[in-house]
Amino acid sequence: MTQDLRYSALKKTPFHSKTSMASRTNKYYNWNGYTVPTEYSTTELEYTAARNGTSVMDLTPMGKYEITGDHAHRFVDYLVTRDLSEMKDNTVAYIIWCNEDGKVIDDGTIFKFSSTKFMLCCAVKIYNWLNDSAYGFDVSISDVTDTIAALAIQGPTSCSTLKKFGAEDLEKLKPFEMREYKIDGFDILISRTGFTGDLGYELWTDPKNAEATWDNIEIAGKELKLRPFGMHALEMTRIEAGFIQTNTDFMAAEDSLRPTRMRSPYEIGMGWLVHLNKNSYFVGKKALKKEKEESTTERCLVGLDIDGDKPAHGSVIYNSKKEDIGIVTAALWSPIMKKNIALASLKRPYGIKIKENIFAEIYHPEELEYRKIWARCKVVKRQFFNPERRNKVPADLYE
Amino acid sequence: MSDNSNFDAIIIGGGHNGLVCANILARKNKRVLICEARKECGGMVNNEITNYVPPVTTTVSSSLGGMQVNYLPKTTIALSETGQHIRLVGNQHIDHKSISTFSSQDADRFNDFHEKMSKFSKTLGSFMMASPPRIMNNSFSDYFKLFKLGLNVRLLGKKNFNEFARMIGLNIADELEDNFENTLLQGLIAHDSVIGSNLGPRSPGSLINLLYRMAIHNNSLFGGIFQIEGGNDQFTKHLIEKCKSNNVEIKTSASVKNCIVEDDCAVGVELINGEKVYAKKIISNVDPRSTYFSLLGSQNLDTDVKRKIKHHRSKGRVAKLILDLNKLPSFNNCDDIDLDSRMVVAPSIDYIEETFNPSKFDKLSLEPTLEICVKKDSDQNPKLDIQVQYAPYKTDQGWENVKENYIESIIKIISKYAPNINECIEHKKLITPDDIELEYNVSGGHWHHGEIQIDQLFMMRPIPGASQYKTHLDGLFMCGAGTHPGGGLTGISGKNAAKAVLDDF
Repeated sequence: MTQDLRYSALKKTPFHSKTSMASRTNKYYNWNGYTVPTEYSTTELEYTAARNGTSVMDLTPMGKYEITGDHAHRFVDYLVTRDLSEMKDNTVAYIIWCNEDGKVIDDGTIFKFSSTKFMLCCAVKIYNWLNDSAYGFDVSISDVTDTIAALAIQGPTSCSTLKKFGAEDLEKLKPFEMREYKIDGFDILISRTGFTGDLGYELWTDPKNAEATWDNIEIAGKELKLRPFGMHALEMTRIEAGFIQTNTDFMAAEDSLRPTRMRSPYEIGMGWLVHLNKNSYFVGKKALKKEKEESTTERCLVGLDIDGDKPAHGSVIYNSKKEDIGIVTAALWSPIMKKNIALASLKRPYGIKIKENIFAEIYHPEELEYRKIWARCKVVKRQFFNPERRNKVPADLYE
Repeated sequence: MSDNSNFDAIIIGGGHNGLVCANILARKNKRVLICEARKECGGMVNNEITNYVPPVTTTVSSSLGGMQVNYLPKTTIALSETGQHIRLVGNQHIDHKSISTFSSQDADRFNDFHEKMSKFSKTLGSFMMASPPRIMNNSFSDYFKLFKLGLNVRLLGKKNFNEFARMIGLNIADELEDNFENTLLQGLIAHDSVIGSNLGPRSPGSLINLLYRMAIHNNSLFGGIFQIEGGNDQFTKHLIEKCKSNNVEIKTSASVKNCIVEDDCAVGVELINGEKVYAKKIISNVDPRSTYFSLLGSQNLDTDVKRKIKHHRSKGRVAKLILDLNKLPSFNNCDDIDLDSRMVVAPSIDYIEETFNPSKFDKLSLEPTLEICVKKDSDQNPKLDIQVQYAPYKTDQGWENVKENYIESIIKIISKYAPNINECIEHKKLITPDDIELEYNVSGGHWHHGEIQIDQLFMMRPIPGASQYKTHLDGLFMCGAGTHPGGGLTGISGKNAAKAVLDDF
């Protein structure tokens, strides 16, 4: 799609003609230099579609990088904290990567096509980081953000929708697997991945195929409660799923000005992604090993089940002595759980050893006045919502 | 760590810092092996590359149990086309007299200038000779060192403190033009400020280069410049003898391929021929870029470290022209004592700056700045050993295509001072920075294994995070000129590194 860049500060995605037509609110925001909807109609409706039908979101602005070359596999394994040496072709892995101080830069997903070709997806732009890290490896990095159109198709009926769209045998695809399809003459890659914590897929194709794909999926999902959904609804679902968001739940190490604001994987609940016994070196290994050996981890990211029904946006968390022990990074009243939940960054040992007598100070706005609520919190697993259908193989199908 | 450590320490590279480090470790009863890629140890301290040396400091020599080499002090002459040369020896009274024949004002000012610079170089010098503090380390001794530097600077007094602050980022040309009227004197001091660096006299920061040079040359501008009796290689020969008596094992023609890393710790080295040798500590006397990218390997480095090493500036801009002669040419208005002096061709600041300019664009200046040294070869035949400033690391036309032309232009310059030079030449040899890189395995062919500039000094030398002779890999140290305080044949890097290694045992 050609645009006159002189009059358009933000880029439009290949789905823009479709997403803007679907929008009833004209609410957009800037994601990586693209304009994409925050809300199409009402966030509640969109959320409901995601949890009960199929939701479609334009993912194109996500940073997408192709890593090719003889050392591609070695390089990817060096870049991230997770041990990917055994990663199989046509699979996807959730990953984080750190700087030399072992502080998290971002999280994302890595797609393996073969040992010489990978694709890395993440929320922000990291071309320079990849390129500088690749020095000394026989790999080439290219930014394919603009050349791949991407959609998230999420929700309990998403598999059925995509099957009607033309993705045969899709129900057999396991979580974190991907498969290439040829639909209407175009190559479409479908991966069983997503950011809603439910059954869901992501679809990757040529921008030329974007508009037709959007239309055909809309037709396929007509009887399956399909709805486009925006950033706000996604935010609700991802908190329920306990997924973290860079620069919301933690500051990206490359972005934060204050060294004390940077977080190690252990401090944001991502310790399970750090494999210190990996055979080869990876960026940040030395610092992370030291942190582990010396037990210098200062914080933790936990789930909170909070009394009452008022969301604890930005609340300060206290212990019983009213000492400040942390802050809420994301919060909502979960419609599906019927619970007041939050993600919170706490100072250890709170959240790890001490899970009782923790309180949130909630300021609830009521027509230009705040009601101050002192609410008791229970430390719980961050994954609030984790339905069985999410990982079921074959996936549930609906007519 | 593997148990089959045959040695306590392996030193990669038998240059003078490696030899100093080896001897100090061996004197503390460590079993040391030196792996030298070339046929003999000594690195760039030999009769081909080195013309003049600073004195070895007492701390280095005492930690080696004394150095039995004879240092011969050398006079410096700024050659003038008219024969009105300036001769300086580093003695306040003699130099004053020498300069006053041209300008009594310059002579007085020279003494004041010298006193001021000497004071500042001493202030920096005390900081320079010790291991630099590490910032963000939260160690008391590191903060104390920084505090001491701050205190030393403050103790200069308010007036001097302001002057120090003014000068630290200054270019040398402005300072010289403010002080002196004689362009030859200006040129000579400017030459010594930029020698071996990538700076012109008008480049910001060229003044601190001079302070650095003074700090290793007895805090003097033209004193503290020596040759070693019997040739500069006597210095390394003496160190090699000491190695023998201290039972340091030396392997020559033993090029190291890479470090052996086990459990994120350096445990040995693998030689090009496949041989593996293990030791408790590995010490690299190789330049920082090769240490990190070749020995350590980029797959073992954090991204930020790669960035820092890639930023590390180490492109040499000094070439060496060696002219074998059948007889000594007669230099205008020079006697035998003059011929035994350090002869500098740098007639003015502008001359040097114009030489510098093309090198920024990888081009050659056909009127280069020279430091000429008369030597004798093994058959007692005379030769001129000429240091040529601002020969770019690589030329835009390729060195092989311009070498001949360049040599002729240098000889043409010399003929202005020694008209019969052409009759005397038997053989010419030009050693360019990339020749030095190849022959001596120094990235960029830089004398100091990296620029001596404010961003690469003290705790930033060679890069932040590796400033205390440790690298980013446990068990691997650095002792070369790329570390604080830098090159200049003082052996201080080797000595400080040895201390860091001993502290780690």
